[in-house]
Amino acid sequence: MDRTRLNIAVGIFVILGVVALGYLSVQLGQVSFLGSRGYAVTVDFPSVGGLKAGSAVEIAGVEIGRVESIGLADYQARVTLRVRSGIKLQEDAIASIKTKGLIGEKYIRISPGGSDKIIQPNGRIREVEAPVDFEELLSKYIFGKV
Amino acid sequence: MFAHALALVTALLLVGHGPDRAWAGAPTDQLKAQIERTVKILEDPELKKPGKQRDRRAAVRQVANDIFDFSETAKRSLARHWAARSQAEREEFVQLFGDLLERSYISKIELYGGEKIKFVGETIEPDGAIVRTRLVTRQDTEIPIDYRMHARGDKWLVYDVLIEGVSLISNYRTQFNKIITTSSYQELVKKMKSKQEEFIQEEKRTSQR
Repeated sequence: MDRTRLNIAVGIFVILGVVALGYLSVQLGQVSFLGSRGYAVTVDFPSVGGLKAGSAVEIAGVEIGRVESIGLADYQARVTLRVRSGIKLQEDAIASIKTKGLIGEKYIRISPGGSDKIIQPNGRIREVEAPVDFEELLSKYIFGKV
Repeated sequence: MFAHALALVTALLLVGHGPDRAWAGAPTDQLKAQIERTVKILEDPELKKPGKQRDRRAAVRQVANDIFDFSETAKRSLARHWAARSQAEREEFVQLFGDLLERSYISKIELYGGEKIKFVGETIEPDGAIVRTRLVTRQDTEIPIDYRMHARGDKWLVYDVLIEGVSLISNYRTQFNKIITTSSYQELVKKMKSKQEEFIQEEKRTSQR
């Protein structure tokens, strides 16, 4: 009798553990279970320099989506964003790749525009700012002289 | 026979209808012409003489007015705060913004000393174009400068400039947004006006000396 109860208790504990582990991995891995919530928007950057799939997309520091995938199109980086539905992006919004802090991870900052035209799902953000490559800048101004 | 006629009609329609397509290469050509005009003004020995500084600047501003769409730049910089402005406020803002750009950039252009400009490419899209250039300094350092342009009638006008990938509109948009959200639009206008006043006073003092 006692034996069975102990077994059940252990069983429940193990199941709870597995559920917790599953939850943790989904949270940490930033996997969205329900597949694609929100809508997709593409952005072409001359370079993405360290941006990864899963990186955050922010407006005013608030996360409004994530980078879904990064591919190459015509020797430019084509980034597909998954933006939360309900967030409207104007046609003249600017997408910039920024760094959190001085050496932190890269994310995409969107500065909202003022146009009446809204970017439709699967549309494209035309205005972009590539990340500033500090090493390149430094070398340019230090070693510029030939 | 019918197919031929159809092809001809379609071709004519396309030519007649698509200034963007028919004008391939136009953004670069138009930008180049204006940049050459600017360089000519800057290298004009007559305008280099002391006391001619004002004429020189006015001439440069004239060129800038011909190739830049200041009202579009102002509108995009103000972004979502633009919609809340009245017609009169918008006109005033475009004027103030033009002055701000003149103060910040046209006065710097006088430092020009024979730098070269290379045109490296252009991309034309249905609703705009990017012209990529490189400014080659005397030390042979290349600074990428991209111009974002859009067509207005048969003219291509610049509305954004990206230096080393940093956008002019993005820069001002962030600053304006910060000022407007932390204080008010009126505060921003007051700030811009007083800066312009200061600049005019400064100008007077230097020209009297």
